[in-house]
Amino acid sequence: MTRQPLALTINGEIHDVMIEPHWSLLHVLRHELGLTGTKENCLEAECGVCTVLLDGKAVNSCILLAEQARGRSIVTIEGLGDPEHLHPLQAAFIEHGAVQCGYCIPGMILSAKSFLDERPGRVPSEAEVREALSGTLCRCTGYQKIVDAVIAAARQMSARPEAARRAP
Amino acid sequence: MSFAFHRPGSLDAAIAVASEHGEAARFLAGGTDLMIQINRGRAAPKHLISLAGLGLDTIGESEGEHVIGALATLDAVVTHPAFQTGLVALTQASAVVGGRQVRNIATVGGNIVNASPAADLVPVLLALEATVDLRGPAGTRSMPLDRFLVGRGRTERRPDEILTAVRFDKPPAASATWFLKAGRRKAMEISVICVAAHLVRGGKARIAIGAAAARTVRVPAAEALAEKEGAAAFREAGRIAADAVSPIDDVRASARYRKLLVATLVERALAACADRLGKDGR
Repeated sequence: MTRQPLALTINGEIHDVMIEPHWSLLHVLRHELGLTGTKENCLEAECGVCTVLLDGKAVNSCILLAEQARGRSIVTIEGLGDPEHLHPLQAAFIEHGAVQCGYCIPGMILSAKSFLDERPGRVPSEAEVREALSGTLCRCTGYQKIVDAVIAAARQMSARPEAARRAP
Repeated sequence: MSFAFHRPGSLDAAIAVASEHGEAARFLAGGTDLMIQINRGRAAPKHLISLAGLGLDTIGESEGEHVIGALATLDAVVTHPAFQTGLVALTQASAVVGGRQVRNIATVGGNIVNASPAADLVPVLLALEATVDLRGPAGTRSMPLDRFLVGRGRTERRPDEILTAVRFDKPPAASATWFLKAGRRKAMEISVICVAAHLVRGGKARIAIGAAAARTVRVPAAEALAEKEGAAAFREAGRIAADAVSPIDDVRASARYRKLLVATLVERALAACADRLGKDGR
């Protein structure tokens, strides 16, 4: 199968790649572009570690063809702040000790960002956060500290929206 | 495992590609089911035909009916303002398909054409007596969803036909819908049984059940009883519905347990509809 050119907009930058039509977005991110913050695990949309944002909404990159992202905007964990300028979700996860092994955390943070961005200015209930994160599995933490961190970040983001807006 | 990826610029162009390649081609909507089938080796299309960008993703209404485009995502149904009161079963069913990451991609049309007996949205659409629109080389045709569904994974759709939309009459003001699902856990689970009920004040009931037979089914005998309304009628409707279905034993549940669930969930879904009718003073 001959490779096809594809321009992907990732974290605000355009990346030109040559892809095989059956490659998933996850494959292209990790193996063609070296963006290994997006994790790989079940490959069946069950676990959520491969979550990225597609036009702002959380999706499983493991079962999304790279072709399906053509012309759309992708955000990965690499696009969400840096050690000097953490996104409020990243800061809250550190502050609450929400990270153990860390493998699910990129997907967890992007799932939470997608959810919070749908309801700017609102602090969700614990039940709403748990529902929103149900497609993203963590095998270490028991979720409590993750849920606490998301609610704390929501408070921060509704009080200081500019801190969240700096990131894409 | 590889295929040619087609991105046609119109519905007719998409149909032409499908006609050319026959069974070797598959249409791609969200792909949340098809990609998993391909990865597991259960489907091996040589051509994937993208339906993105062809205007099939709108949810609209005319005076008399609601029309949901086949490429509308399940998330779009969950958040749609027209589906939050009398048609809330559409929202309830769409909200329990996979996680949010799946619902942001998975489509209404995909949930229908896969013809999984456990598809969550299908019982609701059956209870609303929905019609599907198909477009193929010879033009368009419509048929009741109840006729479109043939069996497990089988529909009346020809390989070069696109399911473009599903439509149903606007229910009268004094009506309610409800959806209930039993799975092994609350989220991210395939239904062990799912039930949709549609109750119209003054004597019309519709009940549809998923994961209880080779396809999602309505249960007319139970509907006739439920039309009498009241707790006793709803309980009896549940019992009759359980007798009418033919579930299987599988890794998720036994057939016997599924029948118990049907009886209970049908009764509860009807009671919930009646409760909503009472509360809203309709």
